[in-house]
Amino acid sequence: MGQQRSADYAEFASARAGHLYRSACLLTAGDTHLAEDLVQETFGRLYVRWGRVSRAENPAAYAQTVLTRTFLAHRRLRSSRERATDTFPDLPGAADGDAPLRLTLMAALARLPAKDRAVVVLRYWEDRSVEQTADVLNVSSAAVRTRCVRALGRLRELLGEDLHEFSRP
Amino acid sequence: MPENQHEDPFEDRFAAALRDTGHSFRTDDPAALVGRGEVRGRRKQLLRRTAVLGGMTGVALVGVGATLLLTPDVHDPRRTSAAAGPAATTSPSAASPSPAEPFTGDDILRSLKELLPQGTYKEEQAQGTDSLMPPYAHVVFDDGRGAAALGLSFGRVEPGSEQARQRATCPDKALVKYDDCTTAKLPDGSRLALFQGYEYADQRADTKRWYAELLTPEGHHVLLTEWNAPAEKGAPVSRPQPPLSVEQLKEVVTADVWPRVVDSMPSRGDRSATGEAPSPGTRDKTIGDTLAGLLPRELNIVGEGGQESEYAYLVVDDGKGGSLVQINVQPGMSDMAGVLFEDAEELADGRLVTTRQSPGEEGAEGVVMWTVDTLRPDGLRVVISAFNTPAQHQDATRDTPALTMEQLREIALSTVWDAGA
Repeated sequence: MGQQRSADYAEFASARAGHLYRSACLLTAGDTHLAEDLVQETFGRLYVRWGRVSRAENPAAYAQTVLTRTFLAHRRLRSSRERATDTFPDLPGAADGDAPLRLTLMAALARLPAKDRAVVVLRYWEDRSVEQTADVLNVSSAAVRTRCVRALGRLRELLGEDLHEFSRP
Repeated sequence: MPENQHEDPFEDRFAAALRDTGHSFRTDDPAALVGRGEVRGRRKQLLRRTAVLGGMTGVALVGVGATLLLTPDVHDPRRTSAAAGPAATTSPSAASPSPAEPFTGDDILRSLKELLPQGTYKEEQAQGTDSLMPPYAHVVFDDGRGAAALGLSFGRVEPGSEQARQRATCPDKALVKYDDCTTAKLPDGSRLALFQGYEYADQRADTKRWYAELLTPEGHHVLLTEWNAPAEKGAPVSRPQPPLSVEQLKEVVTADVWPRVVDSMPSRGDRSATGEAPSPGTRDKTIGDTLAGLLPRELNIVGEGGQESEYAYLVVDDGKGGSLVQINVQPGMSDMAGVLFEDAEELADGRLVTTRQSPGEEGAEGVVMWTVDTLRPDGLRVVISAFNTPAQHQDATRDTPALTMEQLREIALSTVWDAGA
C-alpha cells in the first residue's frame, strides 16, 4: 500500500473504529473482547481490500458489512479455543445510569440466533432498510422480514411489552 | 428507525433502548484497534502472496513463507473464550419439572452473602428466578485485602446429555492454560470441578479466574467464579489471589440452597444458548472417529477432544511434533454460501471450496492456521483447520501443520461426511 493510500486507510479506520466497536458489542451481545477481535479482523480485511473499499460508494457501510459477515462466520464455527460455560456478558459501565436495561437487553440479544441478532442490529442500530439488510446477509428481503418478526417476538417475550420498566432501576 | 415499522410501539421502544445501549460502549483505545487491524491486514496480504507462490511452486514454499511471515512484528494478544451471553442452556426435562417458589435477585444475593466470609460489597447485581432470564448474582467483594469480582450463575442440564458430560470437568490442558484443576465425585453423586486458572489464555494480564462448578445428578448446574480484580476483564488486579480458597469455593457452591434456586427456574422448552435448533441426532460414530479414519496413515493421534455432534479436534504427530486439527461438520448451511464462499472454487458437482492460510486465532507466536472450507449443494458444510502447534494458545512448535492443504482438502471433500458420518 502506497503512503497516501496508507494514510487514507488510517484516517478512515480511526474515524470508524468507535462505531464499529459499538456495533460489534451489540452483535456479540456485550462480549467486548470478542467485539475487539471482530473489529480488528474487520480492519484487517478492509486493509487488504482498501483499493476496492475506498472506491465504494459508502465505505462506512462497506465496513459495517464486513464486520457483520465476519461476525456471522465467527459465530457459526466452533473452535478448540472455546469452552461452554455459564458466563456473564461484559457490560458497559454496569454501575451507572441504565445498567439494568443494558444488562437485560444484552442478555436478551444473547438469546437470539446469531443471524437474527445481525438482522436486529442492522435494522435498528444501523438503520438499514430491509433490502439493504438482505444485501449484507445475502438473503432475500422476505427472509429478513421473517427473521425480524421472529426476533422482535422473542425480544418482546424476553423483555416484556413495556420496555420502560427496565429503563430505570 | 427503519421504514414502515412505526405501527409497533415495542419496536420503537426497543430501537431506542438498543441505540442507548450501543452508545454506552466505549473502546478504551481505538488507535490500538486500528493498529492491530492493520497488522492483521499486512499478515493477510503476505499470506496471500505466499499462498500464490506456494500454489505455483509447491507446498514447500508455503512452509518457508509461513516461517518468514511469523517472525512476529507485533505481539497481538487475543481473547480467550468466545462464549457470549448468560447461562448457556437449560432443558425442560432436566432437574425438577415443577417450579418451586421463585427466588428474587435479593434472595440469591442474601444467600450468597451468608455463605461468604466477612467483607464488604459493591456493585451488587442479581437476577432472580421470577424472570425468563437465567438467574445469577454478581458482586464486588472485599475481605479487606482487595476488591474482587465474584459471580454466581445457575442452569439446568439434561442428565446424561453431552452437556452434562462436559459440565464440571477440567478443561483440556492443551486448550486452556491453568495452574490447577481437580474434579471430584461427591457423596450425593454430584460432580464438582475446582479450577484455578487465568482470565486470559495468553496471560496478557495477571487476572486470575478461579471457579467451582457443580453438577448434580438431577442436572442442577451451579458455577461460582471469582477473580483477583474488581472486574473480570479490563480492571487491574487488586490482590495476588482471588479472595476465596478452593475449599471455600467448594463450600459455597455446594450449599443446599442453590439446587432449590435451579428448581425454581421456570421451565422453558426453547431456551438454548443460540436459540437455534439442535444439530441432528447423535451419531453412532463421532466426528472425531471419522476424522481419524481419514487421516494419512503415517500420522499418530496423540490427543483428541471436543467431541460434539458437529465438532471435534485431534492432535496428530508425524514425528515432528503435535499438530492440532479441528473440524466442524454443519448441516443446513446453504444460506451462508454467499457470505463464506463468495470467491470460492466451484467443483463440477456444485460443491464449493475455499482455502485460507492465516495466523492462529489465539495470538500465540508463530502459529499458522490452514483451513479448507467446503459446502455441498445440500447445505452440508465441512471445514477443517490444521495448526503448527498442538494447542492454539501455545507458540508454534513446528514450521507447518502436519497436514498439507491438499490433504486437508481431500479430508474435507470426502464423501464419508455426506453419509452422515
